[in-house]
Amino acid sequence: MADRYFNPFQAIDINVPVQFHEAFERYCQRGANAVIDQSPFPRMVDLWFLSVCVAARLKLEPADVVKSKTVKIIDGSIFSSDPWRIHTLMLIAIGNTGDVQIVSEPRKMMTLANGLAVAGLPKVVEMLKDGDAEPIWNLSDAMDTLLRKEQVA
Amino acid sequence: MKLLRAEFQNFRLLRDLELDFSCDPNRKLTVIRAANESGKTTVLHGLQWALYGDSALPDKGNGFRLHPIDWDVSDGRRVPITATVEFEVTSHRQAGKELRETRRRYRLVRSAFEDVDSAARRSASTVKLFALNDSGATPVNAPESLINDELPPELRDVFFTDGDRALSFIEADVALSTKRGRVQRAIRSLLGLGVIDDAIRHVNKAAAEVNRKAKRIGADSELKEVASRLEIQERQREKLELDLEDAKQQFASFDEKVNVVDRKIEATLQKGDREKLATDLERAQKEIGRLNKQLSVANKEHSGLFRSQSIATDLLAPMFTAAFGKLEELHDQGKIPSTTIPVLHDRLDAEVCICGETLKPGQPEGDTRRAHIQKLIKDNQRADEIREVITDLYYSAKPLQGEGSGTSSIWLEEYASVVERRDDIQELRDEAGRKLRALENQLDSLPDTDIQGLRATRNQYKSQRDNYLTKQSTIETQLASLKRDIEDLEAKRDRLLKEQKRGTRILAERDVIQDVMKVLRSAYERITNEELGKVSELMNHIFLEKIGADPEQGAIIRRAEISQEFDIIVYGPRDRTLNPDRDLNGASRRALTLAFILALTKVSQVEAPNVIDTPLGMTSGFVKRSILRTAVRESAQLILFLTQDEIAGCEEIIDKVGGKIFTLTNPALYPKILVNDPGVADRKVLRCECNHREDCRLCQLHSDAQVELAS
Repeated sequence: MADRYFNPFQAIDINVPVQFHEAFERYCQRGANAVIDQSPFPRMVDLWFLSVCVAARLKLEPADVVKSKTVKIIDGSIFSSDPWRIHTLMLIAIGNTGDVQIVSEPRKMMTLANGLAVAGLPKVVEMLKDGDAEPIWNLSDAMDTLLRKEQVA
Repeated sequence: MKLLRAEFQNFRLLRDLELDFSCDPNRKLTVIRAANESGKTTVLHGLQWALYGDSALPDKGNGFRLHPIDWDVSDGRRVPITATVEFEVTSHRQAGKELRETRRRYRLVRSAFEDVDSAARRSASTVKLFALNDSGATPVNAPESLINDELPPELRDVFFTDGDRALSFIEADVALSTKRGRVQRAIRSLLGLGVIDDAIRHVNKAAAEVNRKAKRIGADSELKEVASRLEIQERQREKLELDLEDAKQQFASFDEKVNVVDRKIEATLQKGDREKLATDLERAQKEIGRLNKQLSVANKEHSGLFRSQSIATDLLAPMFTAAFGKLEELHDQGKIPSTTIPVLHDRLDAEVCICGETLKPGQPEGDTRRAHIQKLIKDNQRADEIREVITDLYYSAKPLQGEGSGTSSIWLEEYASVVERRDDIQELRDEAGRKLRALENQLDSLPDTDIQGLRATRNQYKSQRDNYLTKQSTIETQLASLKRDIEDLEAKRDRLLKEQKRGTRILAERDVIQDVMKVLRSAYERITNEELGKVSELMNHIFLEKIGADPEQGAIIRRAEISQEFDIIVYGPRDRTLNPDRDLNGASRRALTLAFILALTKVSQVEAPNVIDTPLGMTSGFVKRSILRTAVRESAQLILFLTQDEIAGCEEIIDKVGGKIFTLTNPALYPKILVNDPGVADRKVLRCECNHREDCRLCQLHSDAQVELAS
């Protein structure tokens, strides 16, 4: 099936403002002996992607990354291994702009997603830190609360 | 007598320790809380050494080092050792119609010097006694006699005992005669029968004098010869009797040694042999390794939750609703799916056109038509690229649409399941960790005991014990034979005496002596039996009260008594006798022996302290509390050394009757047992004022250590 789906983001690098680099270093597992409870995200793309989702969920405005000093954290080719993420980014782009034609413009879609990620990152970092337990449990609790709140609402 | 205070300098672990004991009649319990290996036994030895000297130490002090093992020789090669005990003696005297009570306080100081070398030679200890009064301390002569009056040394085991040692009155592993001897000695000593013993010895001497007189009047006659032979045989009998007593004592001593070694072997085996423990340890480590792997997998699952599709679908459900709405619009308008290309591909694969004409390759018409259709596909691909992407998205992204669209969360279910799994495994891991630590502690605490060596020692002791038993039997046989000879000779002597002028008078003296002897012996037996009955009755009463609520034992135990032969017997239903050592559980055995000790003390009317180390081991629940309550009630002064485990469940009783409560700590137990480093370089017992409900930085124990220590 993977053969049928091409990755439109294949050639696009993902850059985030340098101030978030430390968060990626700290909360993403680096090496085989990483302490999972302290670094809940297996890869950088996972933190980035969750930040996109959280920002979309909280209806945050995409941040403007253009003027910021950035650092590359992910190579777009990484999405080839998770086709569902490609579809998710497309759906986010459609949902956010209301324009289905956007699917033919990968860079535009990625700019939007990265803007959301940068907007959502401080929120996710806050979730990781906010609590008395290790980051994985703080984040779990925050996620639990976020999803339940919306369910009740 | 009541103990008031004790102080030790350089007595083994007690480098500098002061203890005080409760004398309040309403709160007569002193609790000295101490974990195992915190100096309880040393304090017990120290108190006895202060009162009785070296004879109260194990092996009468031979080879028993007193100075601290880590004594720094730069402080001197001869260590001054001192033990001080202050006590109060209450006496009563009739003053007119009133009984006047007088209390006197004394300070007993015993000191000795010991060389710091492997032989640990020490000087004979010096003991001094002072009467304490308002004006100071007045020396008292012959301190030993006052101590012997107040706390007879024969009863040392009754006043100073530990839960295990108390069992010596009933333990099955020692000879019946040894047990009887212990019970008999304890009862006779406490009842003050020594006076009658002395009188009997005196009368025996008078009987020997009769024979000497007969010899003197016999001149060169046959009477002289008979009397001389009788004298020799009496001396022989005396010697044999002494030998017999010695053989009995030696037998009892080696019997005890055999028993001690047996207990060591049993304790070592109970703790497990090293090999088995090592296997258990390896198994526990493997189990921990297995659980660590499971835990790692569960942790990864937890981590995986944050990169899962479900968290995205749950979070983006509102966003997806909007996006899918747009796609559905296109679908409803027929703009997607883009079906042209798939249909043309299908026709090429089927090799038949929609109109029915052939599309078979290799045929001129077929090839022409195929080329046309392939051109159509190519043209559509270019023009319909966007539609294709959208079509692809429409169908491929369906799983992202979810079912409940915000009303239920798959992620929350997954999260709950992962947390449950993590918690379950973590719990198992913690338990396995505790088990491993317990095994490690057990392994560490295993003395480097050479079981083979212990068995060899045991066999040596047993062989010596059996030798003394043989010797005992031989002497008894010799004595029986000698006794017959003596009786014959006495009859002959008496017959010859009758023929002598002054013989009648000597015979009359002999008759008087025999009568006095009969009176003394009968008094001895009567007092013993009467008092024995009282001790027996009170012991039964205390014992049944102690075990009253134990349904397991209550169902099988009816009563306990001390027989005329000085056996402690327990009866079950239909008066069937039970073996106290085998048919009673640990709690009941302790209850029985403590009941015997308390009954003895009570019947003797001697006001004396009962100092007991770990009296509540192997007991629990109501029986434990009942043992403590009864012991407090029946004792004039009760000083107990208790572990935290023994205290557990008895806190309220101690609240009510505890007059003095404090804690002893051995800093050497850090870090295995103690939580905090006491910061003390020397090995010495320290005291803090923590009671049975408190902990401080010094005495706080690891929570699992309490359990392990207890076990």
